[in-house]
Amino acid sequence: MISADRQTQREPESPERKLGDGDGPSKPDITRPTVPNELLKRMKNVDPDQAKKYRQRSGQ
Amino acid sequence: MRPILAGIETEYGFTVEGRSVHDQIDDSMAFVRAFPGGGLSLWDYRYESPRHDLRGFDVKALAYDAIDARFDQGRARPPAAEERSDRVLTNGARFYNDHGHPEYATPECFSLRELMLHDLAGERVVLQAARAFSEKIGRDVRVYKNNTDYHGASYGTHESYLVPRRHSFAALYEAVTPLLIARQVVCGVGKVGAEAKGPVRYQLSARADFMQEAYNLETLARRPVFNTRDEPHADPDQWIRLHVICGDANLIPSATRRKVGLVKIALHLLDAGLAPTWRIPDPAESFQLTSRDADGEGRIVLEGMNWTTPRQVLESYLDTFDGLNSGDEELKSVARETRQLLEDRVTRPDEFRRHVDWAAKRWLLDQFREAEGLSWFDPSLQSLDLAYHLLDREEGLFFGLVEAGEVEAEIPLEDVIERETQAFEWGRAHVRGLAVEKFAPQIRTLTWSNITFSVGDDLVTVPLLPDLRYDPASLGVESVTDFIAAIRSANAAHETS
Repeated sequence: MISADRQTQREPESPERKLGDGDGPSKPDITRPTVPNELLKRMKNVDPDQAKKYRQRSGQ
Repeated sequence: MRPILAGIETEYGFTVEGRSVHDQIDDSMAFVRAFPGGGLSLWDYRYESPRHDLRGFDVKALAYDAIDARFDQGRARPPAAEERSDRVLTNGARFYNDHGHPEYATPECFSLRELMLHDLAGERVVLQAARAFSEKIGRDVRVYKNNTDYHGASYGTHESYLVPRRHSFAALYEAVTPLLIARQVVCGVGKVGAEAKGPVRYQLSARADFMQEAYNLETLARRPVFNTRDEPHADPDQWIRLHVICGDANLIPSATRRKVGLVKIALHLLDAGLAPTWRIPDPAESFQLTSRDADGEGRIVLEGMNWTTPRQVLESYLDTFDGLNSGDEELKSVARETRQLLEDRVTRPDEFRRHVDWAAKRWLLDQFREAEGLSWFDPSLQSLDLAYHLLDREEGLFFGLVEAGEVEAEIPLEDVIERETQAFEWGRAHVRGLAVEKFAPQIRTLTWSNITFSVGDDLVTVPLLPDLRYDPASLGVESVTDFIAAIRSANAAHETS
């Protein structure tokens, strides 16, 4: 059920291994493409509390 | 195969500097009314029937969100038509306030490409309205093409498909529901965290937490995987409108085309009596299990303690569709692309993420998270998730990915701009838009399925047929009586054909 208080989730104190919430498959040993610096700068400019402050009415 | 008319309605999230969720309905009304692009505010609400159910009954009342009711305490709501602030645009689209969200309903389209372009044109219309609203009130207005506020409030991106009335509720439900669950894998927009059912790091779908039942009529609470609203916006003896409410608001254009194309494939299989049979006892549970398994294959629980994967379900639709030898090149392209993506997800993840929102967003956030040493449960990750959906080319993270070439190439802007003011297919949306452009003084009301004109002392209502492509030459007339005669003539020829 959706909580009547609309709580944002918190990290579990003792996370249990669940479907889709485990470590998943190990990463392949290859060089991964990285995020360009300009985009990283854009990410650093995001207010880290923006989602906490973002409240909307329910729509359809 | 019959061409399937389809449309997309998106409710946008937005914030206004210095205002709160308590002001959202007033602000959404003012937002829509600020749109500088014209249009006509004469929507006819008599043809709305959200309480009719496909199963053959009406409900007395629809569920209302309890938290929203608290926001409304002590506030008088304006009359419904005033609150809606409806506008019909010259491209045949409808732009209005829906439950405190600016909503853009695209013109109905037969072609997937046209629909995708009109969805993008909708983003630009909403942005133009936001900028005009911001200038008017002198406050910053931010718009998000997304579906959740991370606090348990969700707002939809709905799809509509024209379906022959001969299909029963049960047949339609069984043909479409497995695909709606499975398509998240190639169409979801992703979400950091959860708003129901315990913690999770990352999900495929922004809407999955809100899909609580298999089927029902509701849209504001107890939302179902399969919505049973029976509001065809066409002759109800001939047509059903399949109303899909479980999809996400995509930023990657090909994902918009794909999500609609896959449902059209399921509907063609239904028409042919060949829809794959998957017995899923709890579609809501399987929807959520699939969404929560971003690292794995996903799991769809079947009757008799069996289970399958979203990939197997999707491939069952694609295999059967291949057997139809369809001549529909757009749907064949969607089928090929989906097969390739299912393979790429396993073997070429860096290619997969260029075409699928959830994977593009997860890659971006994961890189940042690792660089900054953050947990997936750090609250700033949800702020970055929100920023992916910000409709601002300078600040939005999706547009940052576009600029960096990390997602597929952009659609040519001129193709989108053209559709802000015109529908290019000659379906009923084009006729509606043309009427708004040329005969606005004579129009008394409009709706999806008809227009009422004032001619002399008479009111004349002409139906717009949903499965008809009108002849552009015959509608290029200068008087309203000739226009009405041309629509009637085309309708009559179609009905006797």
